[in-house]
Order: sequence, then structure tokens, then C-alpha cells
Amino acid sequence: MTITAPTIWIFFPILLGGSLAFVRNRKFLSYFSATVAVLLALMAQFVPIDKALLIGGISLKISPSFAILGRALTIASTEGALLTLIYGGAALWFFGSLAIYNTTQIAPLGFIVIGLLVASVAVQPFLYAALFIQLAILISVPMLVSLSQPPGKGVLRFLIYQTLAMPFILMAGWLLAGVEASPGDLALAVQAASMLGLGFAFLLAIFPLYSWIPMLMEDSHPFIVGFLLWILPTMALIFLTGFLDRYSWLRTSPQLAFALRAAGLLMIVSGGFWAALERHLGRIMAFGVIAETGFSLLALSLNTSAGILILFLLIPARTLTSALWSFGLSVIRNRVKTMRFSDVRGVLYDAPLAGAAIVLATLSTGAFPLLAGFPPRLALWQNLASVSSSAALWMGIGILGLLMGAIRSLAAMSITEEFTGWSSQESLPQRLILGLGMLGLFILGTFPRSAQFFLSDLPLMFERLGR
Amino acid sequence: MFVFVTVGILLFAATAVLLLWIFLPTHRAAWLIAISGGALALVSVFIWLANPSAQIQLPAWQPAALFGQSLTFTSDLFASTFALSIVALSLSILFTAVVRDNFFNPLAWAGNLALTALGVLAVTADNLLTLALIWAAFDLTELIIQFRFVEDPKRTEGAITAFAFHALGILVLLWADAAGATGGDSFNFHSTTSQTGAYLLIAAGLRIGVLPLHLPYAGDSPLRRGFGTALRMTSAASSLILLARIPAGSIAAAFEPYLLAFTTLAAVYGGWMWLRAPDELTGRPFWLIGIGSLAVIATLRGNLAGAAAWSCALILCGGVLFLSSEPQRWLTRGLWVGAFGLSSLPFSLTASGWANTTPIFFLLWIPLLLAHVMLLTGFIRYISHTRIRNEDQPAWAKNVYSIGILLLLTINLLLGFFNWSASFQTGNLTASLIVSFLTFTLVRFTPRLRILNPVRAHWVRPTASTWLDWSYQIMQTIYKQTSRASAVLTTMLEGESGIMWMLIFVAFLISFFAQNAP
Repeated sequence: MTITAPTIWIFFPILLGGSLAFVRNRKFLSYFSATVAVLLALMAQFVPIDKALLIGGISLKISPSFAILGRALTIASTEGALLTLIYGGAALWFFGSLAIYNTTQIAPLGFIVIGLLVASVAVQPFLYAALFIQLAILISVPMLVSLSQPPGKGVLRFLIYQTLAMPFILMAGWLLAGVEASPGDLALAVQAASMLGLGFAFLLAIFPLYSWIPMLMEDSHPFIVGFLLWILPTMALIFLTGFLDRYSWLRTSPQLAFALRAAGLLMIVSGGFWAALERHLGRIMAFGVIAETGFSLLALSLNTSAGILILFLLIPARTLTSALWSFGLSVIRNRVKTMRFSDVRGVLYDAPLAGAAIVLATLSTGAFPLLAGFPPRLALWQNLASVSSSAALWMGIGILGLLMGAIRSLAAMSITEEFTGWSSQESLPQRLILGLGMLGLFILGTFPRSAQFFLSDLPLMFERLGR
Repeated sequence: MFVFVTVGILLFAATAVLLLWIFLPTHRAAWLIAISGGALALVSVFIWLANPSAQIQLPAWQPAALFGQSLTFTSDLFASTFALSIVALSLSILFTAVVRDNFFNPLAWAGNLALTALGVLAVTADNLLTLALIWAAFDLTELIIQFRFVEDPKRTEGAITAFAFHALGILVLLWADAAGATGGDSFNFHSTTSQTGAYLLIAAGLRIGVLPLHLPYAGDSPLRRGFGTALRMTSAASSLILLARIPAGSIAAAFEPYLLAFTTLAAVYGGWMWLRAPDELTGRPFWLIGIGSLAVIATLRGNLAGAAAWSCALILCGGVLFLSSEPQRWLTRGLWVGAFGLSSLPFSLTASGWANTTPIFFLLWIPLLLAHVMLLTGFIRYISHTRIRNEDQPAWAKNVYSIGILLLLTINLLLGFFNWSASFQTGNLTASLIVSFLTFTLVRFTPRLRILNPVRAHWVRPTASTWLDWSYQIMQTIYKQTSRASAVLTTMLEGESGIMWMLIFVAFLISFFAQNAP
């Protein structure tokens, strides 16, 4: 019996998501979708693609390709680890929705979004990836809006900016085909690179095109926004790395390394700057996420195998940090009027675990030792310093801003006029999820080896960059 | 391997006390378990001394291509001396706890043992990665303890400020690591260059409160004699060890005069405030700043043994003073051993504190020795002041309390004579004699000169602004103005015209980078 990999990791999740859209039982949705996501992750890790398996007398083979409308969706065996990370990360959010109200739509639509984004990595010719990403963005809009309220400004701007990415990337793909045909045409190469740069600037929300992120964090449910701010940039970065891997002239261009480094530093420094000055817990997370993308761009700018290793080391840390941060914010959001500092005073004493989770997640983004974000940032800082000490200094300034954001969040949640004692008002599932999440942050931060099981094969996805 | 034995004993005892407190809250064996754990740990530190330079290296982080360093611990003479000091302090705190009003406090005992375990790990750390991780663990533990014990949310501000400065210290340490890596080598204490030595010094200074001068715990704290002492002293020890690890000559000459000037200023300020504090507990933050500054000065002069000696004096002499609360005449006289330890006289613990190493500008000696004099005078004044007798104490409690005080005094004396590079030294005889003479004079004149008398408790933080408050206010004003400017920018970018502004920014950035691209 033969089954194709895209059927398992693309079509099945999309169909499942569509079916689950009609289910209203929050507990069932949460448990069922988290279990399915974990099973898909385990399959991706342990079931080999393009190799026959004998299970109880039945020969089963997962073939890598699926042809559709003259195009192919191909999931190679080297991409198994990426699928494990993506579906494993999604399971965190699906399971987390058990303890957070108003998040029933995250599992059904989340499956569809993930299926489409996996398709964007798998589609051949890869130019069509932009279309799948655009579809995923359109599908994610209903997650962000409520039927009872008009959409906020953040949602509209999210849609506009992400949609603007598509024509630039499609145009770049078309021009790149021309560059492949006539490699000596320098003007065409410059045009293609510019189009590509603009496309990814919109897609990855590179400075100053990220104003929608803090607006979205303010307008919409932090748990859902957290999910989107994890999956969309992660897949966009993989897509970008694919581009770099494919075109050697692009990969070896010193201008590109410079542009990536400049963009990464701008994201880290501006993210850190605003995180240090912001007075809204949700918006601080937004700036943390922006800085996180900056770290990934800096890793790519190293243009070495070490850079790719760091890029992949950043992904599990980002997954866990975003999940925990958005979960903590959601728990707090249910207790306060807004997440402005003036409204969250003393909330730490009512929701100590949620408050601690927010602070630890912010510290993790700010490279605080012992936490998940520390090992990749340390490696990045050391590698960057060996290339450019001024760039390393700017990275340090950005990190300082993020740490200030963490400390200000802690101060805002803990300093109050009246103290009525510690009384954890979080529910048991909330405590369990927050406790496990924080433990995970410490495990990843102290034993980065623990993630190597998934990460060691990931660079093989890229034929040239990863070897 | 003995490092882990000591840490294991301390953590095991802390866990046992904690479990007993959770499941059998009224059981009285908790104190005995804590004392046994502390005593065994102290014995195990003495065993290290037989094998002073053993190094333990844990498996390297993965992927190996990214991480050149692995967690490494050493039990060299500096490490074992620091460890001996903090384990002795921990045990002494447990012994002296019996005379406190709130004696039965298993949570504080467990916290004390856990902090000591982290302190031992910090002082034995053999590279920056290890030290950064242990500092982080220490800071998080300290923050949690502060939040757990301090029941006035207004006071948590001090804990958060301290955490902020400690985190900044870690960041500077990591920057030193990154700057050290620019040479292409894996950076550790032994390969410190002139580029990184100053950063290490600033990292330690930030954590102690010396560089730049700051007082996160200036306000009154309910964690007073016992557990508060463990918290402050162990925290300081975990930072001070860095001073003893910066090789001589590894601080760039360009930085040195400024660092010397700032540190001297901090030493004089700490000494003056310590001398004028109404009691030793109120003056404790200034004690840390004063002695910490002298340790930093020793490092700047390339006198590593001196830096270690001042650090151990900070823990042992300070510890014995802060734990003394009972008016036992012979024990009060015994506290003069602490004053001897602090005097830098020959064969004292701090004999090597002013040892002749790198010469400094001769006029700097005046404020430096003056700072030392003020610290020593304050110490003598506090050991001589009247203590209130607690009549309800049983005889056994008084004896057990005495053991705790004697333990610290004995270790203080022992370190002056045996074991390590700072022991059995005559040091700088001229400096120590000048300090002793001036101290004697100052002690005699203190009752007659109003300016030398302690200020009232509420005057320690005067309502009138000091220059330190002014500098904080200036920083706060800059921060507020920047915050306003950023709010204007945010409104602009997120408002109706935001998209147009974005496009202008993009055009500007593209033209800027196009000009500067390689």
C-alpha cells in the first residue's frame, strides 16, 4: 500500500480542520486536535519517507510526491524533522486552548493554516509557495475577528501588509527564472533581488513594516495572535532559506549578507527599544516577537553552516517561548480590563504562575541564561562578534532593551499599593500547562542537547547551506 | 568531584527540610537536618583542600560546532577559600538562628542551604558560561525568595532593582565572552585579554553595587539578621569570585584610571555611610559597597590574592558582625578577632589587601586608606555597642549560638595563617599601620565629634536629595522623554497615515543601505 506524504501532512490536516470547524465542544477539540498533531509529529519523526515498511504483513510505503494540476507537492525525507517541529509546536497551542476561553477556532483553522504552510514548503515549482502562504494568511483572518465586533485596525493592516508580499515574491520568482537563463544580466539580478527583498520585508514584517504586530496584539486574543506570530514567520524564514539555498549568486552576494544583518539588527534594536519603553504587556510580546525574527535574520546573515545551525536552534526556543508567553497573557487578560500597566498592578499575586511565565518568556527572548532562548543567542552573539564587533554591540543593545521590558513587566505586575496575600486564582489545567511550559524553558536553556534529537537532521533540508 | 559532593549535601539537606516543612510542618527535626547538612558540607570543603586544583568538566553543549565551552568547575585555592567562607557562614546562620524570635523557620533554613549550594557552584565556576548560568540561577532564586518573604509589595521594588542590576551584570559578562570570542578562541578566565578584563570588572562591580554606584537594597528589609545575611553575603561572594579570576594586567590601560577613580569614590562613599549608619544592619548595603570597592581596587592593582582576601573578609567579618545579637561579654570581646581580620595587619585575613603590586597615583592612597579606616572604625563601633539581653533564651540556645559565632571567628583566623596564597603574609606594613593608627584615633574621637556620630535611622536615606538621587532623577527624566518621543513615533506609525510613513521609511532605509553596502 502506498500513501503520499502530502496526503498525510497537507491534505489530511486541511480536511480535518474543515471538519472540526463544526465542533463546538472545547475540551474535545483541544484534546483531539492536540493528540492528532502529536501523532502527525511522531509519524514525521519516526516513519521514514520513500522507504517500504512491513507492518503485520502489510507493506506500507510513504511516497514523497503528489502531483496536482501539473504541479507537484513533494515532502522529502529530510523535511521530516521540520514537520515534527511544526506539528509538535501546534500541539502546544491546541492543548493550551483547553484552558483558555474564546479560542475554539484555533484548532480547526490552525490545522488548515499549517497544512497550507507545509504545502508552501513542499510545492514545486517553489514559486507557488507565495500563493499558499497568501491562502494561509486569508484563512487566519477569521481566527482574529469576532462576529460580534468589527475587525480592528491591526487585523486590516496585517492583511494589507502580508498580502503586499505576494506580488513582490511572484515577481521576484519570475525575474529569477530570467536570471537563471541569462546569468550575466546584472540589471535583471538586481531587480530580482530588490523584488525579493521587498517581498520578504513585507512577509517577515521587517522594520518598519511591522506596525501591525503590536496593533494586533492589542486588538485580538493574545493566544491566537501568538500562534500566528509563531507559525507565519517560522515558515516564511524556511521559505527564505530555501531561496538562498537555491540561488548561489544570491547566497554568495556580500550585499545580501549585509542587508540581512542590517535588517536583523534593526529588528532587534527597534524591538528592544520599544519593549523597554512600552506600557502594555501584549505589545511587549509583540516587540519580543519582532526581535525574535531579527535574531533569525542575523543567523542567516552569517552565511555559514553555523548560521543555519543557529537558525534551527532558534526555532524550538521560539515555539516554546511564544506558546508560554501568549498563554500567560491570555490567563492574565481574563482577570483585567486591559493589559496596560495601569490595569495589571498586583496581578502577580492573583495569577503568580501566569505572571512568572510572562516574565520568564520575556527574559528568554532577552537571552537570560538558563532559559530556552539563551543557547542560540549566545552562539549567535559569539559568531557575530567574530564577524563584526560593532554588529555584536548593537545586538547587545537590543538584548538590553528586551531585558528591560521583562523587568518592567515584572515591576508592573508586582508593585501595588495594597497587598492581600498570595492566592493563585489560576485553574488546575492552567497551572499544569504554565508549570510544564516553564520547566520546558529551563530544560531547553540548560540542556540544549535535548532538542538535538529533532534538530540534528534539519540542516539537511538545504542541499548547499546545510552541509 | 568534591564540589558536587558539597553541593549535593547542601541541596539534599535543603530538600529534606523543605519536604519536612510541607508534609510534617510541626516536626522539630528540620533544624537538626539543616545543621547536619551544613556541618557535613563544611567537612567536605576541608576535604577539597587536599586536592586543590581538580577540575570537573561536564559534557559540552550540542551542537558542538556552536558551543566551544562546556560547564567546568574548579576547586583551586581561591575557590576552596571562598567556598569555605560561605559554607561556614551558612552553618553559622543556622547555629545562631536558635536565639532569634522567629527561630522555627524551616523555609528560611532550606533557602539558606539552597543559596549556599548555588554560591559554592558560583565560586567554583571555571569559565564565563558556567558563571553566567550559576549567576542566573542565583538571581532567580534570590528574586523568588524576596517575593516569598517580603510581604509588602512596595518593598519588592528593591528586589526588582537588584535583579535588574544583576541581569545587567550577566549581560556584561556575556559581552566579555562575545568580545573574547572575536579572537577566534574559546574564551575563559585564563585567556582574558586587555579587551575583556575591564568588562569582567564592570560585571562584578555592577553586581556588588560598586560600578556604577547603586543601592538596590537601601531600604529597610524584614529579612534582617539570619536569612538576610545569607542572602546578601552569598550573593556578594558569587560575584566577588570574578575579581579573583581576572589575571593581572588584563585591564586595558585606557580604562584603568577611570575605573580606579569611580571605585575609590564608591569606597569612600560606602565607608562614610557605614560609619554614620545607626546600626550594622542598616549600614549593611554600605558595608558591601565599601569592602567590595576595596576588592575591586585590589584587582585593578593586579593583586588577586588581595581581592580574594577582601572578599572573604566581607563574608566572614561582616557575617560575624551581622549575626551577633546577644550580649555575651567574652563573645563580644571575641569579635575583635573580626576587627583584626579586617585591619590588614600582618598575618590577618586581609594582610595581602594592600600588598605592593602595580603602583597607583600616590594621592589616591589618601582616599583609599581613609575608606578602609572608616570601614574599620564602623566595625569596631558596632561590635562595642550595647546589645539587649533576651532573658527567655534557654542555656542550650546560648551555647549553640556561641558555636555559630566562634565558627566564623575561627575560620577568619585560620585563613590568615593557613591554606592559601593570601595567608601568612605581612603585606604592606606601612599602610596597615597607618590604618590602625587612624582607626584608633577615630574610635577615640567619635564620641566627641558630632559629624562622626551615627545619624538617626530615618536620616540614612535623607529626604533632601543626594547626588546619587540626582543622577537617578536625571536618568529617569531621560527615560521619560525618550518614552514620550517613542509614543509620538508609535502614534504616527500606527495611525491613519501609518502606511505612508512606512513607505517613506522603506525608501529612506533602502537609499541609506544602498550607499553603505559593501
